[in-house]
Amino acid sequence: MIKFIATNKWFKDRHVLKNINLEIAKGEVIVICGPSGAGKSTLIRTINKLEPIDDGEIIVDGMYLSDPKTDLTLLRAEIGMVFQHFNLYPHKSAIKNITLAPRKVRGLSKNQATDRAEKLLDKVGLIHRRDAFPVQLSGGEQQRVAIARSLAMEPKIMLFDEPTSALDPELINEVLDVMTSLAKEGMTMVVVTHEIGFAQKVADRVVFMDDGEILEEGTPPDIFVNPRHQRTKEFMSSVFHIPIFDANQEED
Amino acid sequence: MEFNYEFDWAIPFTDPYLGMIITGIKVTLILFAATTVTSLCLGTVIAIMRISRITILRAAGTLYVEIFRNVPGLFWILFFYFVFPELLPEKWGQALNHYSHYPVVAGIMGLTVDNASYVSDILRSGRLAIPHGQREAAISTGLGRVQQYSHVLLPQMFRVTLPPLGTRMVHNFKNTSLCMAITAPELTWATQNIESLTFRGIEATSIATGFYIVLAGIMVSIIILLEKYLKIDVSSINQSSA
Repeated sequence: MIKFIATNKWFKDRHVLKNINLEIAKGEVIVICGPSGAGKSTLIRTINKLEPIDDGEIIVDGMYLSDPKTDLTLLRAEIGMVFQHFNLYPHKSAIKNITLAPRKVRGLSKNQATDRAEKLLDKVGLIHRRDAFPVQLSGGEQQRVAIARSLAMEPKIMLFDEPTSALDPELINEVLDVMTSLAKEGMTMVVVTHEIGFAQKVADRVVFMDDGEILEEGTPPDIFVNPRHQRTKEFMSSVFHIPIFDANQEED
Repeated sequence: MEFNYEFDWAIPFTDPYLGMIITGIKVTLILFAATTVTSLCLGTVIAIMRISRITILRAAGTLYVEIFRNVPGLFWILFFYFVFPELLPEKWGQALNHYSHYPVVAGIMGLTVDNASYVSDILRSGRLAIPHGQREAAISTGLGRVQQYSHVLLPQMFRVTLPPLGTRMVHNFKNTSLCMAITAPELTWATQNIESLTFRGIEATSIATGFYIVLAGIMVSIIILLEKYLKIDVSSINQSSA
């Protein structure tokens, strides 16, 4: 579904993605973690070409991103993206936020788009907030509307760029629940997150990045419990404070 | 000091002076309404040029603003009345010069190019106030460049800049009086005409003053209502992460 081949990217003279090779299969849920500045967000943003790459190739659903003939609108219509700060359109109600792109890009009629949007609002548990404006919604609600907005394009891939980092702790779960059910439906998902619980429960693979490189990838236990790299070990113990290390030691 | 003037408030309300005032009000409103629309359209185009990625468009937009904003509006009104017809092929120029409403048309053109330069500057600042995440959200749902502007960016640009845009439109309303210089029969021209015909300029001017105050007041009220109705709470616009 998504394939990175020797991808490199620089911001001026800073090498932010270093020789990235990664293959993501259809229906896989990949969690990308690592310290801030590792290039996680940049990596995920290259998939729908919000960030162009300087070297290498990315192939998404058969489309070559470095090929200037690739139809970016088509590419982006197939990839949903959820942002840390939701980025809902503040001048549009929840339902209008969702119906805009299906109507303008997919060419749905107003009724078709509204039907679809209402189903999605129901799915994320916000049908009662249908006509609310973003300012009237809590952060968790805004993010769930943002997820519905992406899903309304019926994407093949969903990208999540730290979807819960801007949320109050008690609002995080409502967003993670929606993401979990989406993963169960077989959506191909790439998620940048620090939510280890979510990663353990939902991720097929975890990718650990540091300083623009993929240091290691594997199943959640591989990365969280038995990381091979010293850097991954340090990161897991110092940043997350997860008790999983203790549990592991008890087993030993 | 002795005030040696006897008011005659009846004069501006008698024929043919009343007709001049009514025509003046009509022409003033036409000038204002027309230039509001045209300068908003032109100003929007120039603003988009100035934030374009295409260097030549950006340069052209900037050149426009530097030329039209830095020269008095009155000059552009005079330019379109006296000079512009001469620049056209002779036939067209003569047609314009013989067109009885050309003063109003020239006034609209002059006011438009002047006002649009300010409008474009205001809208451009509005674009800079919209967080980058808005455009990214639009891009990532597959919206094209034109759709990004028409559905996401421009509506927010107008909302964010409503207060300064409103002030600008009040300025533009007052600037319609400059068109008296090219004999467009708007309200200020009418009062000066009555003054020269009857020496009852104070009366006529007072009536005009009242009209300007009332109409500008109505406009300001409409703008305040619009601001309330279209207000975007700043807290709902979140900064995008790097």
